Amino acid sequence: MDTPWIQTHDLCRYYRRGPQQVRAVDGVNLSIDRGEFLGIVGASGSGKSTILNLLAGLDSPTSGSIDFEGVPLGSLNRRQLAAYRAHRVGMIFQSFNLLGHHTALGNVELALYFNDTPHRERTRLAAETLKRLGLGDRLDHRPGDLSGGEQQRVAIARALVKRPEILFADEPTGNLDHENTRQIAELLTDLNRQGLTVVMVTHDLDLARQCTQRMIRMHYGRLAAPKDPAFGGGTAS
Amino acid sequence: MIIRDLLAVATGNLWRMKLRAFLTISGVVIAIAAFVAMLSFGAGMQKNIAEQFNELGLFSTIQIYPRGARAANHTDKAAVLDDHAVAAIAALPGVQLAYPFDEFSVTVTVADTQITTEAQPLPTVATRTKAFSRLLAGKSLSSDSTHEALVTEEFMQMLKINDPDSLLGRQLIVSVKVSSLDSAVARVPQSMVETIDERAREIRFDSLRNKHYLERIVRRELQIAMSGFVDGFMNARATVSDTLNICGVLEGRHGGPLRIKPVVFPIRTGKRFSSAGYSGDPIDMFTSLNSGTLFASSGDTTGKSYPKVTLNLDQYADYESVSDTIEALGYRTFSFAKEFKEIRRFFIYFDLALAVIGLIALITASLGIVNTMIMSIIERTREIGVLKSLGADERDIRVLFLVESGLIGAIGAIFGILLGWTISRVASAIARIIMERREIPDMDLFTMPPWLVLTAFLFAVAVSLAAGYYPASRAARVDPVEALHTE
Ligand SMILES: Nc1ncnc2c1ncn2[C@@H]1O[C@H](COP(=O)(O)OP(=O)(O)OP(=O)(O)O)[C@@H](O)[C@H]1O
Ligand SMILES: [Mg+2]
Repeated sequence: MDTPWIQTHDLCRYYRRGPQQVRAVDGVNLSIDRGEFLGIVGASGSGKSTILNLLAGLDSPTSGSIDFEGVPLGSLNRRQLAAYRAHRVGMIFQSFNLLGHHTALGNVELALYFNDTPHRERTRLAAETLKRLGLGDRLDHRPGDLSGGEQQRVAIARALVKRPEILFADEPTGNLDHENTRQIAELLTDLNRQGLTVVMVTHDLDLARQCTQRMIRMHYGRLAAPKDPAFGGGTAS
Repeated sequence: MIIRDLLAVATGNLWRMKLRAFLTISGVVIAIAAFVAMLSFGAGMQKNIAEQFNELGLFSTIQIYPRGARAANHTDKAAVLDDHAVAAIAALPGVQLAYPFDEFSVTVTVADTQITTEAQPLPTVATRTKAFSRLLAGKSLSSDSTHEALVTEEFMQMLKINDPDSLLGRQLIVSVKVSSLDSAVARVPQSMVETIDERAREIRFDSLRNKHYLERIVRRELQIAMSGFVDGFMNARATVSDTLNICGVLEGRHGGPLRIKPVVFPIRTGKRFSSAGYSGDPIDMFTSLNSGTLFASSGDTTGKSYPKVTLNLDQYADYESVSDTIEALGYRTFSFAKEFKEIRRFFIYFDLALAVIGLIALITASLGIVNTMIMSIIERTREIGVLKSLGADERDIRVLFLVESGLIGAIGAIFGILLGWTISRVASAIARIIMERREIPDMDLFTMPPWLVLTAFLFAVAVSLAAGYYPASRAARVDPVEALHTE
C-alpha cells in the first residue's frame, strides 16, 4: 500500500484546565489523500478545530505525529513549520478573521508577505484572486463594509492566493445564511474539482453530504463511524 | 518579510493608532531635542574655545616662568630668565621665537592728556605673531629701535577716544620714573644714624646677655635699615622720557594672560627705561632679589631678569617635548595646548553630564514606547494569530514589532533633532542679544556637528529598539490558536 499523502499516528492534543485534563484530540489515526474533499463532523467540543489546527501546523500535538509526504511535521523547526503554513496550507475560519483596518485587497495581500512573493506580484495576484471569487468591485472595501458571504469569500481568497496544496476550512459557513452557505459550498466544491485538497470542519451534515467525498465524525476527541450510513466509506483508516 | 514591507506595514500600524503614536513619538521628540540642544551647547563651547585659542596662535606658544621659591624641587637652584636664558631658549630645536615679557609703570602724555598706565617692550618679530597682529588701525612696529608705539583699545578707552584712526601718528610722551639702587643703598646709613642717640640711650646694655632682648634689638635695627632702603628706593627717583609716534592700534583683550599692556613699544627703545634702573615695581625688585641680580650694576641689562618669556613654536614642533626640555632647564612652563588637553577632558565630563540629562529624558520616553507597544500587542493579538496562520514565524512577528518601535524612535529622532536645532538657534539668538548688550564679542554658543546629529539619531533608535524588545518578544510568543479564538 502506498503511503498516504497525509497520515496521523495516534495524534493526541491534551489541554490542562486546572486539575483536569481535556483530551481535545485523543489518539487519532487519519489519512488524507491528495485531491480529496474530506468532511469532519461532530458535536461541539469534540475536537474538530483542534485537529484542524494540528494538521495546519498551527498547533503541536501532545503526543503522536503527523506525516506530510512522509515527513513528520514534528521534525520541522519553527521556521520550517512557518514555511509549511506559508507555502502549502490555506486556512479559513468561521469568524473569517479578516483584519478590519485593511481593505479586502490588503487582507489578501497579507498572505503573500510570508512566501517570498515580490511586491509587484502581490497586488496583482491578490486582485486576480478576488476577481475570480467575484469581488472585483470590492477590492478597496474594508471587511466592515462587506456582507458575511463577501467577507468569507475574501478570507477564501486570502487562503487561495498563495496557491496552497491543501485548504483547511473550519466551519466556513457557520456564520452565513442559507444562500451564502450554498455559494461557499459551490465554491469549495469547484476548487476541489480543480485539484485542491479540502478538509472542511462543519456541524452542518447537509452541507457535508452535499460537497464532501468522505466524511469522518469526531466524538470526544476520537474518530467514530459516521452517523449516516448512507454516506458510506467514511472510515477511520 | 523584506525591510521595505516591514516598514510599510509598521508605518501603516502607527498611522492606525495616530494619537497614541503621536504622543509616544512626542516623548521621544522632547527627549532628543533636549539631548541635542544640550550636546550642541557643549560642542559649541568647545568649538569656541578651540577657535579662539587657534586664532591667537595659542596652540603654538609656551609661556615660561622662573620657578621661584615655590619650586617643588628645593635643591635646584631656581633658574633665572635673563637675556642669556632667552637666547638659549630661542636656540632650542622646534623654537621659532622666544621673547621676554617686561612691563613698566608709565606716565603717558598725549596732547594735553596725561594718564598713568602700563607699557611693555616687544621685539618686532613678536608683533608679527598672531597674538599681536590684530590691528584696528595703522600698522605694526617697523623695527626694534624706532620711536614708534602701539596702543590698544584699552588705551583708547582710557583717553575716551572712539576712532582708532584718529590716534595714528599722534605723539606720545612716555615717562618712566626709575629708582636707582645707589640712592636706596645710600639711604640706609642715613636712616640708621637719624635717631641713633635716642636708641642708644634706650639700650639696657646689661640685658644684652639675655638672648631674647638681644634678638629684639637686632631685629629693630634691621627693620630700620630695611625701611631706609625701601624709602630710598621708592622716593629717590629719576624720570626717563621718550617721545614716540603711535603707529598702530591693537585690538584689545580683556584680562587674563592674554592681556596686552595698553602701550607697546620696540624692545630696543624700551631698553632705555629698563637699563635706567628699576621700574619701581616691587615685584620686579623681588624677582631680582630672588635671582641674585639685585646688586648687579645698573645699566647692565645682562643682569636683568624677566618675569616671563613667551615662546613660539615651529609649525610642526611638539609642544610637549619642548616644554619638557625647558622644564628640565629649571623653568616653569605653561602651554595652552597642554591646558586645552585638560579642557578637553573637562568637556568630556561636561558633555557626559549633559548627555545623561538627555538620556534620562530618553529613558522616560522609552517607558512610553514600552507601554504603547504592549497596549498595541494586546489589541492586536488576533492579528498576530492571523499572521502566524498565514505563515509568519516568531522572528517575523518580533522583527515587525521591533521595526514599529524603531520607527517611533527614528521619527522621534528626526523631529527631535529639528526641535533641538530650533531651540539652539533661538537660545543662540537670545544669547547674542545679551552678549551684545554686555559687549561680549559675538559668537555662536551652539554648534551641531554631523556626529552629534548621527549620535542622537542612533541613540534614539537604539533606545527605542531596546524598549521594543520585550513587547516584541511577547508578541512573537503569542499562541496563534488562542489568538484566533478571541473574538
Ligand atoms: N486552549 C484551550 N484550553 C483548554 N481547553 C481547550 C482549548 N482549546 C480547546 N479546548 C477544549 O478542547 C476541546 C475541543 O475543542 P475544539 O475547539 O477542538 O472543539 P470543536 O469540535 O471545534 O468545537 P466547536 O464545534 O464548538 O467549534 C473542548 O472541550 C475545548 O473546551
Ligand atoms: Mg471549532
